[in-house]
Amino acid sequence: MSDRIIFEDVSKFYGEILGVNRVNLSIPPGITSLVGPNGSGKTTLMNLMTGLVKPSRGRIEVLGYPTDDPENLFKFVGYSTQFDAFPKGLTGFQFIYSYLCLSGMPLQDAERTAWQAIERVNMVDAASRKVAAYSKGMRQRIRLAQALAHNPKVLVLDEPLNGLDPLARSEMIALFRASATEGCYVIISSHILHEVDVISDQVILLSNGYVVAEGQIQTVRSEIQEHPTQILIRCDRPRELAAKLFESEYTIEASIHNDGRGLLLKTRDADRFYLAMNQLALNGLQIESIAPADDDVLSVYEYLIGNEEVVR
Amino acid sequence: MTRLWWTQVKAVIRLELKKTFFAKRGLWIYAVAALPVLLFIAYAVAMSHEQHRTTEIARDGERRLAYQDLLAIKPGMTKQEVAAILGKPPLVFHWTERRPTGPNSTEEILHEDLHYSDGQNDLYLGLANGKVQSINIHEGYNLGEDAIMFAGVFQFFFLRLAIFFGCLGIFMNLFRGEVLDRSLHFYFLAPIRREVLMAGKFLAGLLATCTIFVTSELLQTIAFLWHFNPQTRDLYLYHNHGLEHAAVYVGVTFLACIGYGAFFLVAGMLFRNPIIPAAAVLIWEGINPFLPALLKQFSVIYYLKSLCPVEIPVSPGTPGLFALFISNADPVSPPLAIVGILVVALLALFVSSVQVRRMEINYTSE
Amino acid sequence: MAVYRRNYRPYSGAQTAEWSRFLVLFRYSRRNLFRSKIQTGFFVLCFFYPIACLVMIYLAHSASFLAKLGVPSQLISIDNMFFFRYMSVQGVLAFLMTAFAGPGLISPDLANGALPLYFCRPFSRAEYVLGKSSVLGILLSQITWIPGLVLFTIQGSFAGASWTWNNLWIAGSLVVASLIWIAILSLLAMALSAWVKWRIVAGALLLAVMFFGAGFAQAINAVMHTDSGHFVDVAYLMAAVWIGLFKVDAENSITAFPALIALLVYCSFCLWLLMRKVRAYEVIR
Repeated sequence: MSDRIIFEDVSKFYGEILGVNRVNLSIPPGITSLVGPNGSGKTTLMNLMTGLVKPSRGRIEVLGYPTDDPENLFKFVGYSTQFDAFPKGLTGFQFIYSYLCLSGMPLQDAERTAWQAIERVNMVDAASRKVAAYSKGMRQRIRLAQALAHNPKVLVLDEPLNGLDPLARSEMIALFRASATEGCYVIISSHILHEVDVISDQVILLSNGYVVAEGQIQTVRSEIQEHPTQILIRCDRPRELAAKLFESEYTIEASIHNDGRGLLLKTRDADRFYLAMNQLALNGLQIESIAPADDDVLSVYEYLIGNEEVVR
Repeated sequence: MTRLWWTQVKAVIRLELKKTFFAKRGLWIYAVAALPVLLFIAYAVAMSHEQHRTTEIARDGERRLAYQDLLAIKPGMTKQEVAAILGKPPLVFHWTERRPTGPNSTEEILHEDLHYSDGQNDLYLGLANGKVQSINIHEGYNLGEDAIMFAGVFQFFFLRLAIFFGCLGIFMNLFRGEVLDRSLHFYFLAPIRREVLMAGKFLAGLLATCTIFVTSELLQTIAFLWHFNPQTRDLYLYHNHGLEHAAVYVGVTFLACIGYGAFFLVAGMLFRNPIIPAAAVLIWEGINPFLPALLKQFSVIYYLKSLCPVEIPVSPGTPGLFALFISNADPVSPPLAIVGILVVALLALFVSSVQVRRMEINYTSE
Repeated sequence: MAVYRRNYRPYSGAQTAEWSRFLVLFRYSRRNLFRSKIQTGFFVLCFFYPIACLVMIYLAHSASFLAKLGVPSQLISIDNMFFFRYMSVQGVLAFLMTAFAGPGLISPDLANGALPLYFCRPFSRAEYVLGKSSVLGILLSQITWIPGLVLFTIQGSFAGASWTWNNLWIAGSLVVASLIWIAILSLLAMALSAWVKWRIVAGALLLAVMFFGAGFAQAINAVMHTDSGHFVDVAYLMAAVWIGLFKVDAENSITAFPALIALLVYCSFCLWLLMRKVRAYEVIR
């Protein structure tokens, strides 16, 4: 029996639309992040891994099991999907409990295990409320509880930190880390590279359905740190501001915005730059707004992926 | 393994039944099942009211009449002759008609409507100028007519429309509804064979439709029998195959749920918009009497009609095509009809099991 | 000053006139509708019968041509019965068109929680319903009374001013009969799709209302020995109104006025259902 999640020359087409193409992967235990812009094929890869969609070509094996055998596959796989819909009328507890009952677990065991899973995601207080009335973060957590409930060896999590507040994020990250330490396979997708950067052992970068980079996180991380941040500052006197900012060491490049009412600036140390901006604002410059111009992460991908086309 | 599958089937049934029985969206199915019951309750109330009125008329009469007395009146008898047999009428309506006999002359005709009753049956006599012209006996309990009326409602309304649309609503919801709600992945993420999931969902649908429609059928029977007096009810149930017919109707309802259920289950999996096949089946079932013998067999209603215990007579003057629609020209034997439905259902379930293994979660295409 | 106050610039450009704002919905919904090839094909199919009627009108006024064909000219008579038949055929097509196009107008908005997006703009619930129903209203008008009036005008131009003047009421009947049918179909389709929120199930329910209604009406009549059962049969009620409007000699156990009242009751119920369901929020208990 294999101890890896294996993709062999896997392609998936939705009619004429490409999902993923010629993917070859061998995923080891630990936390693996699938990173890519929207539409790059992250969810398709996860759905393929869990048999929710079938490959148009190629072969997939999860720890030696084919993905078209859900009866065996989901005994050791838990998948927290991005689909934000739940069976009608169920409470949080019933959602987990029914899932465990479907697995064939005796009713008493299912009840006990369901409560354990709910406790793990800190949802005990809300467990008796209907899922339809949950906030986005609560729905995310109850989905995580479902994926974790039967203590799977492989945890597939599609954008698991979406909608979570900072405290819940750190709790969930700790949970993933603990699972990975126990030898689990934790596959996480995200379009925010900086978010998964801190927790991943390895990263798979996707773009337009292709795997464009795969490897240890350290290599990718060093590239990210070298990548400058772009910031847009709206103010009444952009030229004066540009002159002042060039006096500081963190400014690499600055250009006046097309409309003449702002400044586009590149820096390697965003944190120190923001501190300096506070000082400038106190000195009487009218600043309307400061916003990261490349917070949409596309520029990061552009930088990392190089000449690959980025979906905008 | 079989034990595990059974446990999983039970879990699917529990989950599905909750959704089916308590969903607001499914309330219309209860309405569909309840309408014929309400209709027969209304019938029972109307008939009871009618009987009460008949009894009152009999009581108000000059003498106590027997059914034979009512039959003794013949056309052409005078009002006095009628009164000699039946006594003074408890209810009389009269009016005068002026009928033209020439350019400037008219003839006056005195019309009288007499109403007698023996307590159960009504006799309506139409007299013109003191002579009986028309005789109309309305029987209070006409088991034969009532049984045919019940059979007509069962065959043409309950079976063809109520159960059809009820099964459409419940069985299509099992998979297509989950896809539309974007919640099918919940089941597909559990360690359960897709075929077991399908079997569980089908059984849940069957249990729901059978509970709803068999209950409706039983309530219809009770409502239908309500207005009969105990003697007539006993006569119908124990000496006129009434009990046997009621059991057959329940059985046919059950088989209809299996047949239509299996069809709509597979239609919900195969078609993105199952309304088109549903409309096609509605038409196919409708034109079944006009189809050649071979094609007739690929229909649920063909077998169900063969099992129905009461043949609906074609009244004289019914247009040819409509008569064909009512009559069951070449019925199959009951065992063959049962096997036929089960074979049709098994075929549909086989296609469903193949289809469910191929199903993918791709909500964006819906 | 708070940053958002300095940053926020409310829209100050020109706005669509309030009375015509519902037409924005109409434009988008109609465009979506005609993306479907089946829909477009069916729409074209709906003009086949009016074209056949046009040919019949032409033939009815071409005595010499009919004589050549050996067809007696009395065989084709363009009268109230002709327009009643036209209305009956186009009425069925209008129903099929509604079953296809109607449920998709509201149910996706409800199923995907899109209503708050509409109502967070200066756009009322009534305008929303009006906008959506105008899609069906205009679409069904194009296949019912508009071609009907064209046929009437052409017949009038052939038959002369006196025929037109004497039969002007037929044109009025065409418009009124179509508008009533359009209102019923639009409201039914939208109310059902708002209730079940599923396009497909709403389509099934629309079929059920027609077929099941007709079946139940027959059952009531058979069991209760009455004709009042027809009051649950929407198609029968509509036919009764049409028979009255076109003054046609046809058998119908319900007269036009009670049928019209019954249809108004159905319309009111549909409106009530729409107003209950078309809301920017949903309460989950």
